[in-house]
Amino acid sequence: MSVSLRVYVARRLLLLIPTLIGMTLLIFAITQLFDPIERASLYVTDPRQARSVQDIIEKYGLDKPFYIQYFNWLMQMLSGNLGWSQSLHMRVLDAIITRFPATAELVIFSVPLIILGGIFLGKISAVKRNTVIDHACRVMAIIGWSLPSFWLGIMLLAIFYGGLSIFPPGRLSVWAENLVRSGEFKTYTGLYTVDAIINLNWPVFIDAIYHLILPVITLTTINIALIMRVMRSSMLEQLGRMYITAAKARGLDSKTVINKHATRNALIPVVTLSGLLTAGMLSGAVITETVFEFKGVGYFAARAAVQLDIPAVIGFALFAGILFVIANLIVDILYAYIDPRIRLR
Amino acid sequence: MKTSMELKESPRIKEFKFILKRIRDNPLSIAGLVLVTLFGIIALMAPILAPPIEGRDPYVIPRSGYYPEPQPPSPEHPFGTTEGQYDLYYGVIWGTRAAYRIGVLVVGVSVIIGILVGSLAGYYKGVIDEILMRLTDILLAFPGLILAMALVVAFGPGLDSITLALILVGWPGYARLVRGEFLRISAEDFVEAAKSIGCSDLRIIMRHILPNAIFSLLVYASLDIGSIILVAAALSFLGLGPPEGYADWGQLISLSRNWITGTANNPFAYWHVYTIPGIFLFLFVMGWNLLGDAFRDVLDPMLRRR
Amino acid sequence: MNSDILEVNEQLKVEDLTIRFYTYEGIVKAVEKASLHLRRGETLGIVGETGSGKSVTALTILALTPPPGRVEKGKILFRRNENSVINILSLNELQLLRIRGREISMIFQEPNAALNPVFRVGNQISEAILSHRKEEIVKKAITTIERELEEGRVSICSKLQLWAYNKMLENEKNLMLRIIQSVPILRGYIKKKLNQVLREEIIALLKLMEIPDPERIFDAYPHELSGGMQQRIVIAIALACSPTILIADEPTTNLDVTVQAQILDLINRLKEKFGTSVIYITHDMGVIAEISQRVAVMYAGSIVEVAPVKEIFKQPLHPYTKALLESIPRPGSPLKSIPGSVPNLINPPAGCRFHPRCPYVMDKCRSVVPELIQVSRDHYVACFLYGDGENG
Repeated sequence: MSVSLRVYVARRLLLLIPTLIGMTLLIFAITQLFDPIERASLYVTDPRQARSVQDIIEKYGLDKPFYIQYFNWLMQMLSGNLGWSQSLHMRVLDAIITRFPATAELVIFSVPLIILGGIFLGKISAVKRNTVIDHACRVMAIIGWSLPSFWLGIMLLAIFYGGLSIFPPGRLSVWAENLVRSGEFKTYTGLYTVDAIINLNWPVFIDAIYHLILPVITLTTINIALIMRVMRSSMLEQLGRMYITAAKARGLDSKTVINKHATRNALIPVVTLSGLLTAGMLSGAVITETVFEFKGVGYFAARAAVQLDIPAVIGFALFAGILFVIANLIVDILYAYIDPRIRLR
Repeated sequence: MKTSMELKESPRIKEFKFILKRIRDNPLSIAGLVLVTLFGIIALMAPILAPPIEGRDPYVIPRSGYYPEPQPPSPEHPFGTTEGQYDLYYGVIWGTRAAYRIGVLVVGVSVIIGILVGSLAGYYKGVIDEILMRLTDILLAFPGLILAMALVVAFGPGLDSITLALILVGWPGYARLVRGEFLRISAEDFVEAAKSIGCSDLRIIMRHILPNAIFSLLVYASLDIGSIILVAAALSFLGLGPPEGYADWGQLISLSRNWITGTANNPFAYWHVYTIPGIFLFLFVMGWNLLGDAFRDVLDPMLRRR
Repeated sequence: MNSDILEVNEQLKVEDLTIRFYTYEGIVKAVEKASLHLRRGETLGIVGETGSGKSVTALTILALTPPPGRVEKGKILFRRNENSVINILSLNELQLLRIRGREISMIFQEPNAALNPVFRVGNQISEAILSHRKEEIVKKAITTIERELEEGRVSICSKLQLWAYNKMLENEKNLMLRIIQSVPILRGYIKKKLNQVLREEIIALLKLMEIPDPERIFDAYPHELSGGMQQRIVIAIALACSPTILIADEPTTNLDVTVQAQILDLINRLKEKFGTSVIYITHDMGVIAEISQRVAVMYAGSIVEVAPVKEIFKQPLHPYTKALLESIPRPGSPLKSIPGSVPNLINPPAGCRFHPRCPYVMDKCRSVVPELIQVSRDHYVACFLYGDGENG
């Protein structure tokens, strides 16, 4: 890692703190929209503790000024106390941790497809501008982007699950579920596909993949459009730039010019977008998980919201926020790695 | 003053004509225009196409009974009924109107707030700019759906909460845009010139900067409406929107979830319940996306040529 | 086509070049029947205002007309070696690749725009050299390894490299070679010696370009260097393969005057050393005077006058050339500009494109386009004021 990159990373890490403060302030501001009794529920980790609301109000200073409350709340969050989830009957923190692997699994399978597919389609769309391929890609992209994810999910389920009886919702079939819970199956990561491989249990692995197909297709179809569009316009912009003409004037063949020179520069905005996209998906492909009853963080958050389970919703928002801040950080660093000019800023 | 106004007027009209021509030339954008207009007509003519029952909120779908199983299309119910015997035809027609209502409201208010905030930040710069920009940064950095979810839970479920939440989540985008335009245009010479003649700030903003910013706002807004409706429908679908029986596409689709497996003989027996509201939603969003895309295609080279 | 003849001392000839741009606002007649020739070993200056079509013409010489431009008519004859003359506009992509950067090189106005910002300088120069002189480099690598083997300095990769390089000389597309090169680590090993040889070559080249501290420059990114330095590197890349012709499109316009002088000097000396013929495009008459032997004046897409540099300054014939020379700011005299403005090329003036601004305009000028005619031994002009009955 060159010096300039190291300096940049250090500077960027320093920026992390104010960003996190800003984000937590925002969430805290939202909590202020609730009345004090509701807010009190944020601090309760154990339902038996809720003997007297007045006690809690005093203990956590809920009638004190804004900044003191914020400070208290922040301390709570940092010590891992995100409250108790009514809808799930467990601590919010536990709920997020136990459900995160499911969402992670979904994301791990979808994101590479989305990014690689989007880059590929965007590239040929730009290189073969205004040809049939280009128009077809663009139309496909607009369709994908306009499709409501929940409707696509439902349609896919109706066709495949309803019509053909394959690809059912959920993460695993009943038999696999029982097997996984039993002592025979050792759970390491919580991602059924990975764990199945580690356990050398192919039937479970196949079952997990089987259940992943439709949700992954849904997520990919919707999001690939975004990456494709950015890649396309980015490529087009690069292809019109002077250094490309100069490269051609040096006698480099168009394959090299496109794949080495233009692509590298064109990828820059795509990297930013990809990072944000991944974080966005990590914070719960809320809709998709709900439609497919895929019990991940998004599923949990959606149910909590409907049941007005405030600590859960706030906890989830915090989780999403942190993920986003981290994603932004990684994206910025990646950006600086690819484009050395950024490091000077 | 008059001369400079004249100079700015005809290029703008020329640009407008240019946009129209380019839109005409692009089949996709014509498709978008057609869809958007079609839905607009449906929304406007809702009371005629699907007459509401006297004395009731027209957005509440009339139901012919309480039987859970959806009925297929018939003469009384052109699109059939959904779970709970709500007339699907009525639902999607008034759902169009509801969609436009939310869309226009959210975009309209977001634009206004965005213009206010963005103008302040862009024109006066300095500390005001910094503060406002930090604020929008924080809001923009957050995933919209999740923020909206939290807000809706805070306000209590319902269409108004969704509208409010989306406005709160949406205005930063416009603020940024307007601010950017301000920064760009106020750097141009004619603003200096206007100031030197003694034009008041407000006049400069209204007469010179805003009209030039309109184009970018137009593109952004038309691209935004699609996503706004999608998010609103998603929130309704999750159950955070209006109560069951309300003419809302998201609501209708969520009602269809139980019926995707059909009956023993016919897996697609209830196709109308999930297909029809979904198609309306999809085509509406796609129409706006096509239009917005076309605007953007046209505007980009134009902005660059300036 | 054998009817394309070049005179013995002519290196390049542009004949009746017509280029049109098809834009939304209309068809821009950017270049209209432009003709010029470049002699071996000379520097031909092309002077004209912005929008006169000079850059488009230059790019077209390499068949890189920017879209939406299209060459409607014309030939560009290029003498490749003693016997073969070709029309560049009739070549296919593969043939053009052999000419660009190798036999005809071009440098541009903005040096940092010509270099890719995300790759290091050394990387970009290596790329250029490899694309044209690969065989030579590979052979050098082989000799180096063989010498090292004789001296007993063997490394793990030596055998692999030797095998790979010989295969490269034999048949680039060899399957075995391609498979091995697709494995990242092996590819790294194979490239190592090549990169070493390249680095030496390039450092030598940079020294030749009078670039100080070539080691550091090799590893630097373009934006870390000054404009003058970047331009030198661009020139280095352009001359890396000893091209026959160098086209310089306003390379010093964006640099400050002192750097400009250095670059001009560099170009001249390299020209002497390599025997390159140069086409130098600029709008600055001062630079023209300093660097060129002959000058072509371009206005609104046509060549209006061609003459040796001294004659252009002492005896300008075309009214536009006269006006250009008069508009050069002189201390003590009032500023004189050319009346009127550059014509709209979508609807250019009929006849001679300069006629609306010409103080000597005649009726004929408004309707007939003047051809470039020879007025004295080496002086050509396109104007009805000159020539005999056919044109006047």
